[in-house]
Amino acid sequence: MSLHKIWLILSSEFWRRVRSKTFILATLLAPVFLIVLLFAPTLLQQFGEESSQRTVAVVDETGNLFDRLQRSVDDDSSFVLRKVSMSPDSLRAAVLAEEYDGYVVLPAALLDEEEASVTYYSRESGMGGPSRFENMLEGAVRDALLAARNVPEEVQAIMGRNVEVSARTISEEGGGGSSIVLTILGFVLAFSIYFAVFIYGQFVMQGVIEEKSNRVVEVIVSSVRPFELLMGKVLGVGAMGLAQITVWMVLAGAGMMSAGTILTLFVTPADLGVSGNASTQEVMAAAGLSMPTISPELVLWVLLFFVGGYLLYASLFAAVGSAVEQQQDAQNLMYPVFIPLIIPIMFVTFVVESPDSTISLVLSLVPLFSPIIMPLRMTAASVPLWQTLLSFALLVAGFVFTIWLAARIYRVGILSYGKTPGFREIAKWVTYE
Amino acid sequence: MAHLSVENVTKRYGDTVAVDDISFEAQPGRILGLLGPNGAGKTSTIRMITYIMVPDAGTVRYEGDPVGPWSQQRMGYLPEERGLYKRLRVKEQLVYLGRLKGLSKAEAAERADHWLDRFDATGWADLKTEELSKGMQQKIQFIATLLHDPSLLIFDEPFSGLDPINADLLRDIILELRRDDRTILFASHRMEQVEQLCDDICLMAQGDVVLQGSLRDVKERFGKNTLVLEFDGDDSFIDELEASEQVRVNTRSTHRVELSLADGTDARLVLDLALDRTEELYRYERVAPPLNEIFVEVVGEAEARRMQEEAVEVPA
Repeated sequence: MSLHKIWLILSSEFWRRVRSKTFILATLLAPVFLIVLLFAPTLLQQFGEESSQRTVAVVDETGNLFDRLQRSVDDDSSFVLRKVSMSPDSLRAAVLAEEYDGYVVLPAALLDEEEASVTYYSRESGMGGPSRFENMLEGAVRDALLAARNVPEEVQAIMGRNVEVSARTISEEGGGGSSIVLTILGFVLAFSIYFAVFIYGQFVMQGVIEEKSNRVVEVIVSSVRPFELLMGKVLGVGAMGLAQITVWMVLAGAGMMSAGTILTLFVTPADLGVSGNASTQEVMAAAGLSMPTISPELVLWVLLFFVGGYLLYASLFAAVGSAVEQQQDAQNLMYPVFIPLIIPIMFVTFVVESPDSTISLVLSLVPLFSPIIMPLRMTAASVPLWQTLLSFALLVAGFVFTIWLAARIYRVGILSYGKTPGFREIAKWVTYE
Repeated sequence: MAHLSVENVTKRYGDTVAVDDISFEAQPGRILGLLGPNGAGKTSTIRMITYIMVPDAGTVRYEGDPVGPWSQQRMGYLPEERGLYKRLRVKEQLVYLGRLKGLSKAEAAERADHWLDRFDATGWADLKTEELSKGMQQKIQFIATLLHDPSLLIFDEPFSGLDPINADLLRDIILELRRDDRTILFASHRMEQVEQLCDDICLMAQGDVVLQGSLRDVKERFGKNTLVLEFDGDDSFIDELEASEQVRVNTRSTHRVELSLADGTDARLVLDLALDRTEELYRYERVAPPLNEIFVEVVGEAEARRMQEEAVEVPA
């Protein structure tokens, strides 16, 4: 085995890909798409709310509720209330004539202690309007009833109090971030590793198929050993992947650093209840956007597990590629590579909820699954070091084995043309001397 | 002594025996023609010589040592199925392939320039390979085969797909390489090309070497049982001779015929008949059989016809 030749192939593969327009565009546009994807729902909601400010006609038969209701509506700009005294029929006509968006009749019985119900009439269907109106009306009715019984102000304040529960994870190392953020981080990590392994593995497979259907492979293997070509390609695409990930991490880092600054462009610190000269961290914390502190060890392990998982799966993708002449022919042969990659994804929620269960432990030790499950467990719980080390050692053994297996399939596959082989045929290749 | 020897080599794929215990040698300064139809084991043999595959039994030696990565560096191989990286620029491609053969970057670049110039292709250096015509790509691949100055060259159907002018250029270069005392292996279906270029031949059929030696020796061994006649007038005597199985017709046109004499047929009989029946006889010659006929005799008519049919298909 010549390391020099592996290096030559690696750098050729790397540069050929990295300088292509597709690569540069994909690297720069992916974060843009991601941001759009993340913020589109929020933005749409905001735009949606602004446009859907509802003017509601209120018939107050209690004579007592409208002002209270008006007060709670003042906090919510999505409703404009008009006090009217019209018959239901003329209200109905006014709503249909788009004079109002809806109307409500508050019956006198509402302030009796009996259960009473109110109907919200509007042209639009959907629960957004009625449920929010219900919240406001509930508050107004409660306040009116309490006031009618001369309940002291303090008690009224107590009744109106909200308690928010926020969750934090504790670990032996202390620290820990807010658990919801860590859970999201875990999900993002698991899916990122899954997609990265899958997409970069596909790149390797396409490269192998292209060399084979181009017939250039025969020239190359008259200069280098098939194993050197395989490793050069797998490592070259891997280097491209790491370069891409590095660019994204730098962009993400820069984004996080400036997130507070960007936030202050949209909200004034005073709105969040912090002083005007608060630091960006304080602003973000007040906005509920505290960034978890990610330990360098976690970053290192995530990278190691990603690289291990990539080597394991990319070599299998290469083996599949070597057996076919066209991408379409690869479908059937892909299943043995595909399925073990999807299994850990199906367990992601389970592992997040019970990271220390036996199933989670076992999944995080199996080399086919550990690249996705172990980083997930490590964000969800504090994993004993021996488990991490054992899992990684097994992963190394795993990719050494898959590379060996792939090399034996590859050396025969790249020179075999004609009918796409079945699994039995490929198994035979492995035994050829 | 720089030479290649294939010694008792066998290659199997599962239960199929592709090459069955074959031996032959190629000498420096000579061109060895490797002949045979598809499935004869040519490609497998070449892949073992080029160390792309390893024999199940036997040894391939170059300059006395078993072939390996070291011999790959000294060998240039032009496969029958041509292939280059489509999206690489021409010069970049040549430099990369040269470096895989052990050249330094600077050496590879310098030699790429030299050969591009020799093929009048300097202007292509910065074009993407996919922008070139098939014929131009062939030239580039040929340069890639020669770039590292190999002492062993293996050409598999080098002329297929080339126009006559470039085929001539290629032939000149191959003969030049022979003068430099390089060992050259030339695989082909095309008997006339082999006859024109080769010093030695090695005929393969169904995994076996069925005939080998210098082209001259082989022809002598098969004697002068072939007649060439050129004439005007009635040629019905040929039909009669063929019908009575005294001769076999190799090629025939209105004024010319090439015959192989059946065992026991007197060549004189054909001459007498021709003089008697034709209006004019310009030429009557006993010659060594063409390679085609030798091949027919060795492997049988069915196999030979199959190979000729393939030879016609290949340029397509």
